[in-house]
Amino acid sequence: MNAMSVIDLKGVAIGYGPDAPPVLVEVDLSVERGSFVAIVGPSGVGKSTLLRVVAGLHKARGGTVTIHETNKPGHRPVSLVFQDARLLPWRRVAKNVRFGLEGLPIGAAERDERVAAALRLVRLDDYGRRWPYELSGGQRQRVGIARALAVDPDILLMDEPFGALDAITRHSLQDELRRIHRETGKTILFVTHDLEEAVHLADRIIVLGGSPARIVRDVRNDPGREGGVFREQVEQLRTGIADNYSI
Amino acid sequence: MRQPLKLHTSVALSALGVAVFLLAWEALARSGVVPSGLLPSPSAVPAAFVAEVRAGTWQAMVLASLSHYLSGLFLGTVLGIAFGTAAAMWGVWDAAQAWVVRMLRPIPSIAWIPFAIIWFGVSESAATFLIALTVFWINYYASYAAVRGVDKDLIELGYAFGQGGLIPRLFKIVLPGALPGILSGVRAGLGQGWMTVVAAELFGIAGLGSRMSDASGLLATNIVVLYMVTIAALYGVCDFLFMQVQQRVLAWQK
Repeated sequence: MNAMSVIDLKGVAIGYGPDAPPVLVEVDLSVERGSFVAIVGPSGVGKSTLLRVVAGLHKARGGTVTIHETNKPGHRPVSLVFQDARLLPWRRVAKNVRFGLEGLPIGAAERDERVAAALRLVRLDDYGRRWPYELSGGQRQRVGIARALAVDPDILLMDEPFGALDAITRHSLQDELRRIHRETGKTILFVTHDLEEAVHLADRIIVLGGSPARIVRDVRNDPGREGGVFREQVEQLRTGIADNYSI
Repeated sequence: MRQPLKLHTSVALSALGVAVFLLAWEALARSGVVPSGLLPSPSAVPAAFVAEVRAGTWQAMVLASLSHYLSGLFLGTVLGIAFGTAAAMWGVWDAAQAWVVRMLRPIPSIAWIPFAIIWFGVSESAATFLIALTVFWINYYASYAAVRGVDKDLIELGYAFGQGGLIPRLFKIVLPGALPGILSGVRAGLGQGWMTVVAAELFGIAGLGSRMSDASGLLATNIVVLYMVTIAALYGVCDFLFMQVQQRVLAWQK
């Protein structure tokens, strides 16, 4: 365990049923506070399920998952951004952002302030009264991010949040996310199947591969670079996945 | 694919449909093909209406039926939604009551009239019971299907954001998510409830049904038609008001 770590996974194994063979085994991973970690790998390797294990939504078959909370009052240690935004269609935007705050021991004024701050952070200040159906795909995803940030989490888990968006919106939101990471200093665990996205965003990239899958590479990265170095990093990761990939 | 009509076109076509229906009915009644005692003309109904209102009968019958209808509707709707939701949410409860539901559901409400009289006498409670029974099953099945159809991803969202406990899950995700389907059931119950009002009152409980029964015994078919039109109008008003509320409550749908 690292003194700076916020997530510690030790020997984690994941499967989808009691009798089915495990899909992911021997996952040992420490995530440092404030880092941006991308998890990449081929489809079906268990990336999203690993994220759901960290979120407490799926039980690991073996090993231990430790979240080092800051125990601040009025916050949730972990929050999630889903690929499909997953907004509640019967709530206006502001009430969707408020969803995770309900039940926390905070007053109405602070709740409203946190909702407004989260919407400001994703540049949707004036959208609080809109219904989800009135938003574009990119705006919906921003609301999902605002909802996750409003609970002031120690860890922000993001499950292919830009996977369903068009290329222009995706690139715009990637830049927004880098800005949000800089401004908030949140720890981000980001699942993607897009290697370029991982290299563009994360300061550390975990590659899952093999069958059953395990961590096959753990790469330090300097995000935001362009040109040859960027392409080289992407190619190295692609080779790393291909070496451990069998259909 | 069907093209949507403009509002004024839709209203005009509806009015035209009603006018054609009434004219055809009037023509048939006046033609002598059907004896006037068997089929009164629609133009005979306003006179019957004035006479019934002057005697105070129409108001008394409408109020009595509304009382049975609203109490039966309320009971049947609330209990139907509660039991349907519970069965959809808890597998153990669903399994335990599944065959009881299968046995009871096919029995029409009017088949319960003997028991309604034995249990409640010829009373308003008996009518309320029969109406509630009809409305209950409609709401039970509508709520069951609607709750089962709630997006499982939204349930998971609730767990992810600390709203996975029974009460927040029920009130913040399940019921709002199921609301369109539940309201469809309530609306269907509004119509079926009026049908049962007539059946329930035919065995002597004062109301629109009993007045129609009395009038038909005297071959006063114009009065029978008056109360048929009254039921249709009351249903129309209930349905219209409900639609207004439904549109507001479901404003979040596209």
